[in-house]
Amino acid sequence: MDNIYITRTSESPEVDFNFSNHVLNMTGESYPENASDFFRPILIGLEAYLAATSACEIVFNFQLTYFNSSSTKMLYNLFELLNESASTNDNRIILNWHHDEEDDTILEFGLDIHEDFQWLDFRPIILDNAEEA
Amino acid sequence: MHIDVFSAFRETADRNGILFYYSGSLSQNVIGAMGDALKQRLESQDAKGTTSRKLFSSFIEMVQNAIHYSPDDPDSKGDKVGSIAVGKHEEKYFIMCGNLVQKQHVARIREKLEPLKSMSLDEIKQAYRAQLKTDNTKDDAVSKGAGLGFLTLARDSTEPIEYALLDAPGHENELSCFYLKAII
Repeated sequence: MDNIYITRTSESPEVDFNFSNHVLNMTGESYPENASDFFRPILIGLEAYLAATSACEIVFNFQLTYFNSSSTKMLYNLFELLNESASTNDNRIILNWHHDEEDDTILEFGLDIHEDFQWLDFRPIILDNAEEA
Repeated sequence: MHIDVFSAFRETADRNGILFYYSGSLSQNVIGAMGDALKQRLESQDAKGTTSRKLFSSFIEMVQNAIHYSPDDPDSKGDKVGSIAVGKHEEKYFIMCGNLVQKQHVARIREKLEPLKSMSLDEIKQAYRAQLKTDNTKDDAVSKGAGLGFLTLARDSTEPIEYALLDAPGHENELSCFYLKAII
């Protein structure tokens, strides 16, 4: 299983999906020109990894500070894949949802994800701004 | 343009609280540079936290919408062009975008925007969630995004988003100028 690593740019996040360690990180901002082109290979890789993984603890560290509407849709699809895997393959998936204390938009999206995908172990975490800077 | 015309242009912009104005070619590269400039401008205006984030979000949705849907400008060698203005009026910020759209899409744009004007924030959030769950690849062949762009703008705006669709001068039969305004 090939890990996925994509370097951060001004408009797309760092994606560090270390499938061998079962740790998935996404950090930065996401507003690429074509969100489905950016996310499609990530979703395909994730789907293959999840299909081959069972009875594992998987940690997803979500640390995006901004994502545009078309990225939001792709992220929703991504969490749907994780939720399916948690419900059918006996994987325990921890979703560490980092957000700025004042950022209601990202917290609300997280709460929607939590409500729609109840197999994910959703853990909201307030970003430490000092650390971020 | 004469200097006195430019001077009047500047004074009009100042009088209307314009903090940031761009008109010209739109591309993903331009978005990056403008986004940085806008962030700096807002910081110097003390728009921090939520306001700054919502303005940036509205800026991205408006410009990417313009890039995705506007036809190549017939008067500028096939570039995508548009104008964007950010300003402040009575303690609130406004953001406006103008770009060309093909006449055939005018009805579709109205259909999407008109209902948003009378919806409450809760209704907008419900519609947003419903759209998020929809597999929108089937029902709207024209939409290249997720169908969430206008809803995102409506969600971030503190007042109903305004729009106008006017005939494009010199291209009245094929093109319209599409204007969008949000207040944050």
